[in-house]
This record gives sequence, C-alpha cells and structure tokens, in this order.
Amino acid sequence: MKTTDRNFIIGGLVIAIIIAILAPFLASSNPDGLESAAESLGVPEFDAVIQSPLPDYAIPGMEDNPWGGVVALIGGTVLVLLVVLGLAKVLAKKKGNNQE
Amino acid sequence: MHVPDGFLGWTWPIYWIIAIIVLAYSLKWARENLDERNIPLLAVLAAGIFAIQAMNVPIPWGTSGHMVGAALIAIIFVSPWAAVLVLSIVLILQGLIFGDGGMTALGANIVNMGLIGGFVGFYGYKSIKGIGKVPAIFIAAWAATFLASIACAIELAIAGTFPLVAGVASMALYHAVIGVIEGVITVVVIMGIGRVRPDLLPEWVSSQKQEAVE
Repeated sequence: MKTTDRNFIIGGLVIAIIIAILAPFLASSNPDGLESAAESLGVPEFDAVIQSPLPDYAIPGMEDNPWGGVVALIGGTVLVLLVVLGLAKVLAKKKGNNQE
Repeated sequence: MHVPDGFLGWTWPIYWIIAIIVLAYSLKWARENLDERNIPLLAVLAAGIFAIQAMNVPIPWGTSGHMVGAALIAIIFVSPWAAVLVLSIVLILQGLIFGDGGMTALGANIVNMGLIGGFVGFYGYKSIKGIGKVPAIFIAAWAATFLASIACAIELAIAGTFPLVAGVASMALYHAVIGVIEGVITVVVIMGIGRVRPDLLPEWVSSQKQEAVE
C-alpha cells in the first residue's frame, strides 16, 4: 500500500473514531423518525428475533455509562473498516489476471 | 429508519430475496471496479458511515435522525451498487452485533437505505448536476433519505403495521428534515476529500472543489 493511501486510511479512521467517541455524549436520545412515527401511530414494540451481544451500542451491565458506548462504537468502526478492506481485497484480486 | 423485527409481519422474506439479488450485483460491481487505488476510500467511508449513523441529531417534534450515507457512496464511486455494498456491510454488522435493525428486517433495511438510497442518490445527482455540483449533491442526498423513508412507510403499510396515508405523512415529515442532515454532511465530506485527496474523486464531482471555495 502506498504511504499516501495509508495516511488517508489513518486520517479517515481518526475522524471516524472521533465521531464514535463523541456520539455517546452528543447524540440525541430522542426516538428516530421511524420510532417516532410508530409511537404516534400506536404500533407496539416487538422483541428482537436474535439477541445481539451489544444491543443499542452499549456493553451489557454498563448501559448508563457513555464510555461503554464509546468502546462499542470504536470496536464497530474498526470492524467495519477491516471487513470492507478484507472483502474488497478478496474481490478485487479475482479480477486480476490469474498470475498467482 | 432501521426497521426492527416484527414490523414487517409475514412480508420480511420478500425483502430478503430482493436484498440477496442486489447484493450479488453489488459484489459483481466490486469485482469489476475495486482496485488498490479506491479500496482505502471505500473502507474509510464505510467506517465513517458506521460511526456517523450513531450520531443522532435532534429535529423538532421530540425526534432525531442520522445520516445514512448511501448517496455519498453512490456519488463518489459513480455507482449505486457501491452504496448497496457498503450499506449492506454496515447494516449486517449493526443488526448482528448492535441490535440496530432487526435481522428479519435486514432485507428491507438493505432495500431502503442501500438500494433506494443508492439509486436515488446516484440518478438524482446524475440528472441535476447541471444546476451546480454542491446544490446537486445536497438535493440528491436529501432525496435519497426522503424517498427511502417513503418506501419504508409503504412497506410497513403493506405489512399492516402502519396506516398508509398517516404512515407516509409521518415518515415524510420527519425525513424531510433528517434529509437536510444527509445533504449537508454529504456535501461536506465530498468537499473535504476534494481538499485532501482530489485524485480520489471522480470527474463528475471533482471540479466542485473550486466552486465550494468561492
């Protein structure tokens, strides 16, 4: 990977992580558009079909601690980066001219 | 507008089937278009979209909303399929790990935010870029969020969860405002990339940098 690209990834990741650190403190806890619409239309809440390990971007047992959310969001942000890098590399390689 | 489990009733498999088909197209796009040059940009934008989707901005009526990011990806990668790919990955991880969006509703969430968001963002920008790149990006990104929310309301009406007219009206009202957040951030991110790495932007947005400075 070229140095400029590595710097771009690091720079972009730093911005994403800053957002992830700020979000649990700054983000509005009001219901989102869909939740508000469902509330006003009297739609009941349903249980999730699959229990996720970190529901609502919180670490179980420390739901009220925003730093738990920070850790969950940073983990998710890095995971998305790695998944896309990995998947893209696998897919892009297939297009090559079979020199391997 | 992440749809939770239960809201789609018996209809959720329909959207799973559509989502699997469009995901296959997006993987085909990736094989044909991703290379060493643009993979870092795709990965960084996907990570940024995941993070910013947690940043709910308050809007009136005791409600909040966040950016989706499909229009941003579709415009920068000059393809709606790129948006389907990125939003699918983000939505799968959000649903599996963070309980954001139900796993039965994953198909509908990919259809609404990835497919509809990506196509509206791409063709919206393509059709109005003559009015000036910054306003065209803003309007295309706004429309992507707005129309995705209308589609979402119609799907929930088909499932019998929302009444059609009141459901569409309610979603349209909230997402007309949330779309402004989408439009502003999409413009800012494209301008920002134009400042630091103009070589990464496609031709159809690249000269937008000079306009923005004036």
